[in-house]
Amino acid sequence: MDGSASLSDLKVVEYAQMVSGPMCGKLFADMGAEVIKVEPPGAGDEARCHPPFAGDQPHPEKSGLFLYLNTSKKSITLDPTTPTGAILFKRLVEQADIVIENQPPGFMERIGLGYEVLRALNPGLILASVSPFGQSGPYRDWKGCDLVEWAMSLTGYNTPTLVVDPEKENPLRAPGRAADMIGATTAAAGAMFALFHREATGEGQWIDAPCWQAVTNTAKIEMAIYSYAGMPFSRLRASAPAGLEPSRCRDGYVYVLWVVDAHFEALKELLGHPPALAADIFKDAGSRSQNDDIVRHIIQQELAKYDMEHLVREGQKLGLPIGPVHTVAQAAENPHLEAREAFVAIDHPVAGRFRYPRALVRMTATEPAPRRAPMLGEHNAEIFLGRLGCSAEELTAMRTAGIV
Amino acid sequence: MGRLPLEGLRVADFSWIINGPQVAQWLGTMGAEVIKVESQVYPDLTRLFPNCMADRVRGPNRSGFFHLLNYGKKAITLNLSKPRGRELAYELIRYSDVVIECYPAPTARKLGLTYEQVRAARQDIVMVSVSLLGKTGLEPAEWVGWGPMAASFVGMFDAQGYPGGPPRQTGGTWPDYAVGTAVVFHVLAALRHRKRTGEGQWIDASMGETVLGQMPEWCMDYFMNGRDRRQWGNRDDVMAPHNTYPCAGEDKWIAIAVRDQAEWEALCRAMGAPEWTRDTQFADQVSRWKNRNQLDERIGQWTRAHDHLVLAATLQRAGVAAGAVLDSVELHQDRQLWEWGYWWELNHHEAGKRVLPGMPVKLSNVPQLNLSPPPDMGQHNKEIFGGLLGLSEEEIRRLTEENVLY
Repeated sequence: MDGSASLSDLKVVEYAQMVSGPMCGKLFADMGAEVIKVEPPGAGDEARCHPPFAGDQPHPEKSGLFLYLNTSKKSITLDPTTPTGAILFKRLVEQADIVIENQPPGFMERIGLGYEVLRALNPGLILASVSPFGQSGPYRDWKGCDLVEWAMSLTGYNTPTLVVDPEKENPLRAPGRAADMIGATTAAAGAMFALFHREATGEGQWIDAPCWQAVTNTAKIEMAIYSYAGMPFSRLRASAPAGLEPSRCRDGYVYVLWVVDAHFEALKELLGHPPALAADIFKDAGSRSQNDDIVRHIIQQELAKYDMEHLVREGQKLGLPIGPVHTVAQAAENPHLEAREAFVAIDHPVAGRFRYPRALVRMTATEPAPRRAPMLGEHNAEIFLGRLGCSAEELTAMRTAGIV
Repeated sequence: MGRLPLEGLRVADFSWIINGPQVAQWLGTMGAEVIKVESQVYPDLTRLFPNCMADRVRGPNRSGFFHLLNYGKKAITLNLSKPRGRELAYELIRYSDVVIECYPAPTARKLGLTYEQVRAARQDIVMVSVSLLGKTGLEPAEWVGWGPMAASFVGMFDAQGYPGGPPRQTGGTWPDYAVGTAVVFHVLAALRHRKRTGEGQWIDASMGETVLGQMPEWCMDYFMNGRDRRQWGNRDDVMAPHNTYPCAGEDKWIAIAVRDQAEWEALCRAMGAPEWTRDTQFADQVSRWKNRNQLDERIGQWTRAHDHLVLAATLQRAGVAAGAVLDSVELHQDRQLWEWGYWWELNHHEAGKRVLPGMPVKLSNVPQLNLSPPPDMGQHNKEIFGGLLGLSEEEIRRLTEENVLY
């Protein structure tokens, strides 16, 4: 069996734009499910107009964001808000196992394609709805985006960590699309739970996957400090244990963890037992934390005498949790990631050939295998004529009317 | 309680701390029988984490950090550093569908938890290994470390800082949760594959690769254009304003993101349409993006006078994407999280009544999840060793004395 085909029996319709819904669809598509992406006629998915572009040339087939998020899918252009568009969308739904959407909550109902309507057409259907705040509750209709959902979570409050001057250090969004992405993987997990449920009972269901709740679920230590120990969580460096942050070395930064005594002993060994580290303030974790500023200062002075590679190699030999702080470019050229084939080169007829991250996790039998993203409406003929039984004349009429 | 989606699946969970336990918890709440394997030699370290103890009284069954990651499971104590302990572990694996571990490679080898060893016990097992940077490849496959080191390795911390400043850490232990959620999807896909073909497999989950795969603009800009996006702050490629702004009070902030002209006009109205908003340098999306530093300064002067919670609601009513940066107290009081059904109340025999986060996804046909209380250490020894593995009471007593069930 083809390794990438473990979900090849599944048909997925994706009516989603930008990041959260499309990433959820990508997870299914890269494992062999047929994912038909329904894009608005004209401009298509908004992500097609989003930087970065190959060669910095804005073009609907050259957005790196779009190309990455839509690997292995088929693209059709269809406007389900029109009566004819809705009929065709329903025909797609009748044949589908899963529908993924990230429209504003309530939008699908307003256009006559809410869960109850779709379920009546296909009782086994799984509708996966990704949204900023959920399909119910007082924030249901609030506008969200990656920055807002991330910032509202406790993980967002605590980014960056170890703040010295809270007036100057405003909370930062995570690089990448952390809130959208964890909403996407949560929705995909939810749809998979629902598939297991369907296989046992025959019933489909509606998955409500909000990005904010998903990213909020990543702050369990910070929550428990408050809900169990009764201490409001603080993002200040002064309230964190010493010894878990990027530290300068001779040619860059290393990330080293020396909170517990065993690690601190390994660190001393790595630094050749400098006399400065024999002082009384270094004797245990409590004392190191109480004297955080001076302790940190002395250790960083010692680390700054060595190169990154030396510190990491020798430190790891001593059992010290220490690693390099790479830039994204350094990571992209890293020999370990290369040895693991963490990136895969993909050809695209318009955008060209370059590497992409291969998969979120690696699998020995059914590894996700991304193939190039579709061009806008590339599969219109195949799906409308072949799958939905439209005639060539109908397709032309729909194109003229802007429905396709 | 209705039928749960994963009923009938058994998970032998040898993992600890965050990423593996989070995977096991999601499987457990959805109905899989999760058997968490600990020992006095390798207790889950979150049981000992001092900052999260209920009412600040220490005890292995009182840690909130452990509770939040381990409800919905059973727990046994089994000492894998003893040969008989490993034998019993393989016996448990023979009765399991999924095995999870997240030890550094040298420790996993020592404990007999490599895929080869586990597969020898059960040919069609689906095994999950979560690690910093994967368990194949070059030296980093052998490294010790914790979640944030993976983010640092793949460039996230370098990209995290304020423009021109040093690398900074992305909050908490982000990679552990990012990988955990991704693994849940893939392990269920693997189980589905096994159901169809009879074939098991090994899931080699690298926290670093998950994090990279969730930074598309950063990766693709480098791969397409050779650009290295460093210390990116809150900058967006298109939106401006797109930042966090100070509010009234100590360390209070609001996030505001404006994606088009209509939202900009809505924001201007909410600010009372001050003179500066009509300046040509803020006239359209591109000008605002180019002059975003001046724009941020102006908006910050306005937000500073407002309460962050009130202002977020006001801006949302006006049609602007905005959200208050919530601290731990505000988060636990948030109306949306309560009304949507995120929080639930645990009544625990040692910790008392506590509010815990539930699943961040709702399934319309699964109204009640398995939220059994976080287990005490070894709470289910009798049930699992005596029941599932069929040991006699005499054997259990002897193995306990010999520090095998330990």
